[in-house]
Amino acid sequence: MKETPMSNCERRFLLRAIEEKKRLDGRQTYDYRNIKISFGTDYGCCIVELGKTRVLGQVSCELVSPKLNRATEGILFFNLELSQMAAPAFEPGRQSDLLVKLNRLLERCLRNSKCIDTESLCVVAGEKVWQIRVDLHLLNHDGNIIDAASIAAIVALCHFRRPDVSVQGDEVTLYTLEERDPVPLSIHHMPICVSFAFFQQGTYLLVDPSEREERVMDGLLVIAMNKHREICTIQSSGGIMLLKDQVLRCSKIAGVKVVEITELIQKALENDQKVRKEGGKFGFAESMANQRITAFKMEKAPIDTSDVEEKAEEIISEAEPPSEVVSKPVLWTPGTAQIGEGIENSWGHLEDSEKEDEDEGGSDEAVILDGVKMDPGVEVSNIGSQDAPIVLSDSEEEEMIILEPDKNPKKIRTQTVSAAQVRAASKKPVKRRRKKRAAN
Amino acid sequence: MALEMRLPVARKPLSESLGRESKKHLVVPGDTITTDTGFMRGHGTYMGEEKLIASVAGSVERVNKLICVKALKTRYNGEVGDIVVGRITEVQQKRWKVETNSRLDSVLLLSSMNLPGGELRRRSAEDELAMRGFLQEGDLISAEVQAVFSDGAVSLHTRSLKYGKLGQGVLVQVSPSLVKRQKTHFHDLPCGASVILGNNGFIWVYPTPEHKEDDAGGFIANLEPVSLADREVISRLRNCIVSLATQRMMLYDTSILYCYEASLPHQIKDILKPEIMEEIVMETRQRLLEQEG
Repeated sequence: MKETPMSNCERRFLLRAIEEKKRLDGRQTYDYRNIKISFGTDYGCCIVELGKTRVLGQVSCELVSPKLNRATEGILFFNLELSQMAAPAFEPGRQSDLLVKLNRLLERCLRNSKCIDTESLCVVAGEKVWQIRVDLHLLNHDGNIIDAASIAAIVALCHFRRPDVSVQGDEVTLYTLEERDPVPLSIHHMPICVSFAFFQQGTYLLVDPSEREERVMDGLLVIAMNKHREICTIQSSGGIMLLKDQVLRCSKIAGVKVVEITELIQKALENDQKVRKEGGKFGFAESMANQRITAFKMEKAPIDTSDVEEKAEEIISEAEPPSEVVSKPVLWTPGTAQIGEGIENSWGHLEDSEKEDEDEGGSDEAVILDGVKMDPGVEVSNIGSQDAPIVLSDSEEEEMIILEPDKNPKKIRTQTVSAAQVRAASKKPVKRRRKKRAAN
Repeated sequence: MALEMRLPVARKPLSESLGRESKKHLVVPGDTITTDTGFMRGHGTYMGEEKLIASVAGSVERVNKLICVKALKTRYNGEVGDIVVGRITEVQQKRWKVETNSRLDSVLLLSSMNLPGGELRRRSAEDELAMRGFLQEGDLISAEVQAVFSDGAVSLHTRSLKYGKLGQGVLVQVSPSLVKRQKTHFHDLPCGASVILGNNGFIWVYPTPEHKEDDAGGFIANLEPVSLADREVISRLRNCIVSLATQRMMLYDTSILYCYEASLPHQIKDILKPEIMEEIVMETRQRLLEQEG
């Protein structure tokens, strides 16, 4: 798909903003975007995120015969691919110019700087050498591919472990990963590319241009440097005329930036090393955060249900069998009968009933459950049985007020004061009963 | 500075808010529309194994014996006589390439262009060299479709004074299927702005020029500052068009005008909020129904 052309007003807006030292994402002129490095489970696999630009790097190795004119050196092979998912403009046949440019820059940065010791990759001179292959895939294009790619390449190379090889006379033994721990590559230094975008014929410059800024830039200067302030490669494209002091200034800025990025890389490598040694979880599944929108979603709270069965069985075993007393119906008039006493009428004076609710909270439930005991004799045992099951109320000491059947059952509870008196009166018989039980 | 934050909410399906009784017959490519061979096949369908099969994703429309599938989301397919609004992407030897939201870039030949200073002049080599002086990359133009090539590419012409380079205004990009075909696509709305409804889904909203320029032919860009009142009208119109497009309503001058009037009680920036958008479009829909029936 062809890129949608940028409108004139957007272009003007970006250029005006840059003139006023403002960037769309709020960065300063020399600020890099957030760099995030995550490693996969295999050695040599990493994903580098520079803002939203993502590059996947994978290093692999193979034993091959060396080049004829370099019999004692290993072979390095670099490949950067612009995946179609990176941008709609990347199509299988379409991206040749950009692709060639990036690949050349990457090769110059990593191969010509001799950051990897190729002599150490030799196994048998003239016959077997290691071929190290670095494959980089651009997963998302949001500007400044070359920086992200160079970081991904060097991180993957530092992370990679090749199988151990031992040579005894004529015999060459290649140990598998189970037999001997794999060996890291010998890397002298870490060259990292830093890009500078120029606008308005070199008047304004920005470090780490985003995709929008890249579209409106006039020219690009890429400096590859390592932390020892050695320039590995430098390239200026876009046809802008740069002054000497501009280039020097850029190299100084690049020096500072490279030191920061190298620190970050070292820390990431150390972290991964530590996690692997301690046996923790590593790999992409751990390091990539789950990007989910969790609004309107309750987090599931884990509940430990392992001892629920035991608790239930305990309660069931300790509980007495339910009483089999069925309250007998009281016949008031032909056609009207009453079974049980029903719930306390809570209408009427609200304040008083609130006070009484505290007393009656537990008792009401007890009353509902067992009904009114018509037979005083049976009541004794029932009280005893009521204390044991702790199902309804927590406190054993809660007074259970059982209304005497010989008292007026048709009590109208609107006169709550009188009801309180009744309760006060009825408390005595209850207590009497408890003592009786204690005696039993 | 006041901030407003919204949490993501599941979007309500449009059919709920519309309360349509008859559900549209929606198909995807490969769906069988009918096995009855008595129908004539129209756009978006093809005949395969004695069945009529849909080739695009959209709703089936039937007019007597003609069955066609109207695609829901599509690139612009050029028809002769359509008005389009496009952006110049390339300046080539004797033509400009114009981006019109279609599958291929449209072509504007130098000979199809109005040159200032007379109509029937033969295009000379100097004209060719001065092409960039007329239209550069990034310029917006309004044009009419002259012809459609066999591969679907569209050839444009600006052989009338009402077409040409567009000056100050706002471009809104919507789906081409939402722009209703009418007799005229250039409207001067009574609210104080003018609108060009391109058939390719590009809608241009601009301040109504006070006096019609006859001689320039639309190539001199009017760069006078636009007054605040005009700019407010234009932004409100733009938001209304966006809300109509989000609710999949057909765009034509009446619907845009009703939507504008329905949005007057709200602030311009509030129109883009989902609830207010629904409200305004509901009101517009009602008014349109009343007007019809």
